[in-house]
Amino acid sequence: MSSKSLTLRNISKRFGNVNALNNFNLEVGVGELVALLGPSGCGKTTALRVVAGLEHQDTGSVLVGDRDISQTPAHKRNMGMVFQAYSLFPNLTVEENVAFGLQMRKVSKHVRLKKAHELLDLVGLDSQSKRFTHQLSGGQQQRVALARALAFEPEILLLDEPLSALDAQVRVNLREEIRRLQLSLGTTTLFVTHDQEEAMALSDRVGVMNNGVLEQIETPDTLYNKPATSFVASFVGTMNRIPAQLIDGHVQLFGKKIPVLRNGNESGNVVALVRPESIAIKSTESDANAKVLTRLFMGASSNIVCQTKDGTVIQSLMSSAESGDLHPGSAVKLEVTNREVLISNA
Amino acid sequence: MKRKLDLPLTITLSALALFVFIPMLSAFEFSIRTPAKGGYGWDQYLWAIREEEFFYYIIRSGWLAAVTVLITLIVLVPTMTWLHLSKSTIRPFVDGISLLPLVIPVVAFAVGAQISFPEFVQDTVLELPFLYFVLALPYAYRTLDIGLNSIPLKTLTEAARSAGANWWRTIITVIIPVIKSAVVGTVAITFALSLGEYTLTVLLHWDTFPTWVTFVAQENILGAIAISMMSLIIPFLVLTAVTLVSPERSTQGRK
Repeated sequence: MSSKSLTLRNISKRFGNVNALNNFNLEVGVGELVALLGPSGCGKTTALRVVAGLEHQDTGSVLVGDRDISQTPAHKRNMGMVFQAYSLFPNLTVEENVAFGLQMRKVSKHVRLKKAHELLDLVGLDSQSKRFTHQLSGGQQQRVALARALAFEPEILLLDEPLSALDAQVRVNLREEIRRLQLSLGTTTLFVTHDQEEAMALSDRVGVMNNGVLEQIETPDTLYNKPATSFVASFVGTMNRIPAQLIDGHVQLFGKKIPVLRNGNESGNVVALVRPESIAIKSTESDANAKVLTRLFMGASSNIVCQTKDGTVIQSLMSSAESGDLHPGSAVKLEVTNREVLISNA
Repeated sequence: MKRKLDLPLTITLSALALFVFIPMLSAFEFSIRTPAKGGYGWDQYLWAIREEEFFYYIIRSGWLAAVTVLITLIVLVPTMTWLHLSKSTIRPFVDGISLLPLVIPVVAFAVGAQISFPEFVQDTVLELPFLYFVLALPYAYRTLDIGLNSIPLKTLTEAARSAGANWWRTIITVIIPVIKSAVVGTVAITFALSLGEYTLTVLLHWDTFPTWVTFVAQENILGAIAISMMSLIIPFLVLTAVTLVSPERSTQGRK
C-alpha cells in the first residue's frame, strides 16, 4: 500500500458569516492516525471534507506527499472515506459495495471481487458477501463501509465520525478493529470525532479544534497531562476549576503554594485547573476544608464529589479501596498533588 | 392470520376500478361487435393490423415517445440531482416552473414553437419530442422528486465520488439504480403521454398515431376503437419491459 503523508497549509473556509476554518494547518505523517477532536461546529468535519475534496477551501492548499491536490476533484484524490451515516449503496450486494472503488478504476471483475473478499475477510464479513446491505446490522454496515474505503488501497483514509451512530459495545469493538486494520495496512488516517475517549484510544496524535483553529495537536498522553490552553484542558477529560489568587507565579490551593505551569496574561483572580486524580482526600475532623457530597462507585475507582467551604464543587478520582470510608456528609481535607498547575482567567 | 377487510379502502378502490374499467370494457365490447354479421368477432382488429399505416404510425409514435423519454431522463435526472444536492434557493422557483405546462394552453406552446424554433428544427418531426418533454414535465418532475427525496442522496453521492466515481458515473451507477422505481414511473408516464399526445401534434401539422386514429374514426369508428384498444396495451408492454430489463434489486428496508 502506497500510503502518503498529508499536509494542510493555511486552509481557510467560510460559510456565509461563519468562519469554519481559520488559517488551519495540519500535518499527518505516513502511516499515522491523527484524530481531530472538538465540539460541534468547531470545523473538524469541514477540515476532513476539504481533504476529501467534498468542500473547496477559500484559501490554502492540501498536499498528499509532495503533490498539491488543492484543485483535484474528489473522485481523483484516491482517498477512502467512511461516513457517519451508513453510506452503502442499497442496490448493490456487500461484495459489490466493497468492489465499487475498484470498478470505478476499471479493474477487471475477477480481480476486484478477489480483493473485495480479502477485505471482507479482514473485517470478518466474508460470509455475508452476497447479502444486501439492509440485511446487515449497523456495526456490520460500517465494517463494509470500512472495507469499501480500503479496497482500492487509498493513499489516505478519512473517517468522519464513523462510530457515532452505533451502540456502545459495537463502538468499542469497531474502534479496536479500525486501529488494528490501520496499523496492519499502514494507511495514513485522519479521523474526526467529538468523542474524546474514542480519539484518545485510537490515535497516535489528537488535534483539539475550537472555532476553526487547531488549539493543540499532541499525543493523547501529552494532551491530557500538559494541555496547552484552558480550552484543551477543559475539553479533554474532566477538570476541576478552582478559584485562586495568582501571586508571583504561584497559586495557593488548599493551603499549599503551587507554581503555575504557564503564566500568560492572567493575574490576580484566576482559576486553577486540576484533574480529579490530582485531588487527594483525607478523612479528618480537625483541619477539614470540605465535605463529601456524593461518592460514585465505578468499580476499581470511585468519583468523590466534595464541596469546599466557599462552595466550590470539586471532583476527586481515587481507588475504591481507599475511598471506602468516605460517605456523603463526611468532613474531609482536600489536597492538590500536582507539582505545577495550569490556570486560566477567572 | 387472515387480514381484516378495510371496508372504506375496499369501497374507494372498487369505485375507482369501476370508474376506470367500465368505459374501457364498454369500448372493448363495442370494438368487437360485427354489425354486418351480428354478434361478436375480431374483424376490426384484423382489419387494423392489415392496414400498413397502423404499423407505420405506431412505430413513428413509439420512437418519438422513446426520444422524449431519453430527453426527459438526460435533462431531468442530473438537473434534479443538482437541485437536491445544492442548497440553491432556485429550487422552489424550478418547482413552480415545472407546473407551468399544466396551466399554459397547448396552443400557446404550438404558436411559441412556430415562432421560436429555428426552421431546421421545425422541418423535422423531432421538434415534437422536445415539446412532449415540456408537456410531461409536471408529472416526470414530481415522480423523480419523490424518488430523490426518499434516499440519502448527499451521503450516497459523496460516498460514490470519494470511491472514485465522477458525476456521470455517480448518476448512472448509483443514483438511477437506487431510485429505480421513480425512474420507471417517469419513463412510463412520459412514454404514455407522448404516445397519446394529439392537440399539439395536430396544431403543428404532424401525423402520428393519435392523429391517424382520429382520421380513421371518421370512416370506421369501430376500427378506430379497436386501434385505440390496442394502443392502450403498448404503454403496459413498455412498462413491463422496462421493469424486466432493469435487474431486480432490493432497495427495501434501509435503516
